[in-house]
Amino acid sequence: MVLQHVWGLFTNPKREWEAIRDDECTIGKCYAIHVLILAAIPAISGFIGTTQFGWQIGAGDPVKLTLQSAGLIAVAYYFAMLVGVYSLGWMIHWMGATYDAKVPLSQCVVLAAYTATPLFLIGLMELYPVLWINMVLGIPALAYTVYLLYTGVPVMMGISEDRGFLFSSAVLAVGLVAFVALLAATAILWGMGLEPQFTR
Amino acid sequence: MADQQTYNYKVVRQFSVMTIVWGIVGMLVGVVIAAQLAWPVLNFDIPWLTFGRLRPLHTNAVIFAFGGSALFATSYYVVQRTCHVRLLSDKLAAFTFWGWQLIIVLAAVSLPLGFTQGKEYAELIWPIDILITLVWVSYAIVFFGTILKRRVKHIYVANWFYGAFILTVAILHIFNSAAVPTSLTHSYSAYAGVQDAMVQWWYGHNAVGFFLTAGFLGMMYYFVPKQANRPVYSYRLSVVHFWALIFTYIWAGPHHLHYTALPDWTQTLGMVMSLILLAPSWGGMINGIMTLSGAWEKLRTDPVLRLLIVSISFYGMSTFEGPMMSIKTVNALSHYTDWTIGHVHSGALGWVALISMGSLYYLIPRLFNRELYSLKLVEVHFWTATIGIVLYIASMWVAGIMQGLMWRATNSDGTLTYSFVESVQAMHPYFIVRFIGGAFFLLGTLVMAWNVWKTIQGAKPATATIPAPAAAH
Repeated sequence: MVLQHVWGLFTNPKREWEAIRDDECTIGKCYAIHVLILAAIPAISGFIGTTQFGWQIGAGDPVKLTLQSAGLIAVAYYFAMLVGVYSLGWMIHWMGATYDAKVPLSQCVVLAAYTATPLFLIGLMELYPVLWINMVLGIPALAYTVYLLYTGVPVMMGISEDRGFLFSSAVLAVGLVAFVALLAATAILWGMGLEPQFTR
Repeated sequence: MADQQTYNYKVVRQFSVMTIVWGIVGMLVGVVIAAQLAWPVLNFDIPWLTFGRLRPLHTNAVIFAFGGSALFATSYYVVQRTCHVRLLSDKLAAFTFWGWQLIIVLAAVSLPLGFTQGKEYAELIWPIDILITLVWVSYAIVFFGTILKRRVKHIYVANWFYGAFILTVAILHIFNSAAVPTSLTHSYSAYAGVQDAMVQWWYGHNAVGFFLTAGFLGMMYYFVPKQANRPVYSYRLSVVHFWALIFTYIWAGPHHLHYTALPDWTQTLGMVMSLILLAPSWGGMINGIMTLSGAWEKLRTDPVLRLLIVSISFYGMSTFEGPMMSIKTVNALSHYTDWTIGHVHSGALGWVALISMGSLYYLIPRLFNRELYSLKLVEVHFWTATIGIVLYIASMWVAGIMQGLMWRATNSDGTLTYSFVESVQAMHPYFIVRFIGGAFFLLGTLVMAWNVWKTIQGAKPATATIPAPAAAH
């Protein structure tokens, strides 16, 4: 069923993780019922927000992006999220050996996909890009994502909670490093002249 | 000579306590200037309280007073314990303690008064620089002298890191502070123009590489295995990464001068060396993490171990971020923005401060023969510090990227999209979050101070007899 685990991850995360594990989802199915749909939320919201409403800095007119520029960014953003989920799953699978977790790659990708749920959902706020509001809403979403990671790893990887703590921290560190790499990649692309087109 | 049967713990105790005292002072000044950036009215139009004078006070206090005291304390402890011998000279060690404290006090007076050489992280005026040289040479004599009279053949790897730190900082300090005095409080640098800038950042980056990295790696190689109660994961890796690290770091300075008057090839060389630096840095991180991973069953119950693993994780993160930021195209965006400030603090708060605090939690009970007053409070410290760091670096990432993007954004007709002051205005919310993050970290340090105070209150200083070295190993 489409999006069937989303609600449970907020009401009773531990039990929901067990249900997700027992589903033994394939990567394709996981993407079809979860990632492809949820990743569209931030991409579409961002497109509408930056072209229709824009953001305001100080007393000036709102700054917007041109339709074409924002469209390109939205598509790139969407695919970056799809690739990002898979890469994180792959990293979890690769590190699993160190922590004596023997689970198939699909299970690791599913773990990454469901962990990211709060971040996908909070993407809705990009409809209205006021940075400080986005930050106030984004920080709790980020915190809940980390919480989901720490509850999900022991269940999905089938290891003790003690080991799960260390494993989750390692995943978090990899996530941080990936984020920094993404920042650098953005800066390089921008430096090569692929910058957005602003209007105001 | 009954004295020679015991370790000199007195100087270690003195430096350990002062580490915490100066930590509070330095971090408090940091929180004050963070608040000033968010609300400029807080400088009250008093010259001594303006950002320009308090900022060097903050950096000097946290790096040289807090970090320096932690390095003195741990290096004196480690070199004695691993060489099975008392420090070379109690008198000279006492001179390094009182001399270092005097330097800190002189800095705290002269910087707010506006006396400065104008070199970042080397602001102190020339008479103080001479005093630093005297104290530092004494430090080197005590440290290397102790190694010379060691009773075990092997020199443990932590001592290699401490030794490289002491030696290199001496060279850096002497060369960068070379100056022609014009009065008691003023001097001109011995170098001119871009050479001066290059010497300054050769010094500046290696202050990071040797003062804030090599010395603290020495700490990691002693206290992490001790607290985890396990041997170092790979001793061979520790030796390889030592030589790789010290060889590579010394070349990385020019990345502070991208797109300046410095010759282009020098900038590129600095960038390439910075990228190579990732390998030895991560060698060290992996060694630390894998040593701790062997003790995973203790991680949930031992908050000190957790402090150490978080510090090594931040070391890994910031040593990845550094090479990324040294890439010229990235640097064109990130330089002069708050991304740099965030990067520095993920290293300074995440790595340097946390590994020092973890080491002190190991050290203090042993120096005073007391159990730590409360493990619960260490847990509180762990969480407040971690939350503080995350708030700090996350807000600076967003702020820095935004500044970089706003400064270079152009409209289709080629005009700038934003004026500079608009970018300043846009920073306001992030500066508030940064202030909150810093305040959290300071709060954690205060919790630690309370915990340590309750631990050592009324305690008798410990004396430890030097055990006979183990037979051949």
